[in-house]
Amino acid sequence: MPVPGHVGSDYERLRPDFTVIADPYAPDQRVMLVPAIRCDVALIHAVVASPDGTVLLDPMEDDALLAQASRVVIASAERLAPADEVRRAGPGVVLDGIHVTAVVELPGGAHPTLVRGVRDLDAAHFEEYVAAAGDDGTFARYLERWVSGPKDHAAYLARLG
Amino acid sequence: MATVIAREVRDGETVAVGTLAPVPASGVLLAHLTHAPRARVVIMNHPDYWPFRQGSKEFYDFAQRGGFDLFFLSGGQIDRHGNLNLIAIGDAGRPHVRLPGGAGAAMLYYLPRRVVLFRTEHSPRIFVERVDHVTSPGSGPADVVRPGGPWTCVTPLCVFRFDRERARLVVQSLHPGVSREDLERQTGFAVEYDAAVAVTPPPTPDELRLLRTRVRESVARAYPRFAATVLAG
Repeated sequence: MPVPGHVGSDYERLRPDFTVIADPYAPDQRVMLVPAIRCDVALIHAVVASPDGTVLLDPMEDDALLAQASRVVIASAERLAPADEVRRAGPGVVLDGIHVTAVVELPGGAHPTLVRGVRDLDAAHFEEYVAAAGDDGTFARYLERWVSGPKDHAAYLARLG
Repeated sequence: MATVIAREVRDGETVAVGTLAPVPASGVLLAHLTHAPRARVVIMNHPDYWPFRQGSKEFYDFAQRGGFDLFFLSGGQIDRHGNLNLIAIGDAGRPHVRLPGGAGAAMLYYLPRRVVLFRTEHSPRIFVERVDHVTSPGSGPADVVRPGGPWTCVTPLCVFRFDRERARLVVQSLHPGVSREDLERQTGFAVEYDAAVAVTPPPTPDELRLLRTRVRESVARAYPRFAATVLAG
């Protein structure tokens, strides 16, 4: 797919999969082409979802685009509701169930990032992550405490307090 | 820096502020409250200034159509030619510092009519002779559509303007109290000055009052920590 700009940058050197061609609609101009991204699986988190796969997504993010680029889409959600309620629960991007493989009710599933209008981001947790990430030892302890340690999402939330 | 940025906003323009840009957000809001009430303002992550309903794709599509008159960019390194590096310091495959990546910066440097650069650290490691990798070139080949490009670069020490013909950053004004020696010591390339280099007009008492009250309240909706610390003044 074509992208404006980019020609003349080091993406031409660093990304051999990006190609520059003469613009077929304006042959005196060059344009960069980039390959479309096709994902096997997308994990997205919705504000609210219905069991038929209809989801309400953050209007500032591109989860709907990501879902449409992926073969399998698993949508977790703060809560479940009937599809007609999901469509009216805005503001946000509504994506219909035809794009979604599975829906999981998982309040707090986006932690430590935010769910706009529902949950703030956890700034203290990000600080803990950044402090831990500078060193392999502290990072291993972070992973043990927050990723591999809790046996499931309920245990993760319990550890958050 | 916020008041210098505010003065770049013209009334009636469509102005956008991207992510991780609390200083431009403050400047644009200040302009909107003062001399540019009819500016159309877009601020990423600000619920009052986000007119798009289809995700950031809609924002990028709008930018690609040339919808923005003014935008703001920064870089992990910025060089004398206005090239920006958001990729990595050192070898890209095994970087000394991995930078966040360009996101839309290689498009957003070309399409908005004027791009104001900003950086809150003015030091030789940021303002370098030549960036390690060019995410966004200050100027580029003639056979690529580019209606816009760099306009000025605002730092804690000075304001550079971009001389398009020579593709160089040239000092337009030094902030009050900053000497040429200070600036040259903190800049990693040979500094060039406008013939009529001036002293940057300092913020007025009214501008400072607005920044610490109404701008601060609004910026807090996108940047709560910045509003609670820097703008608490």
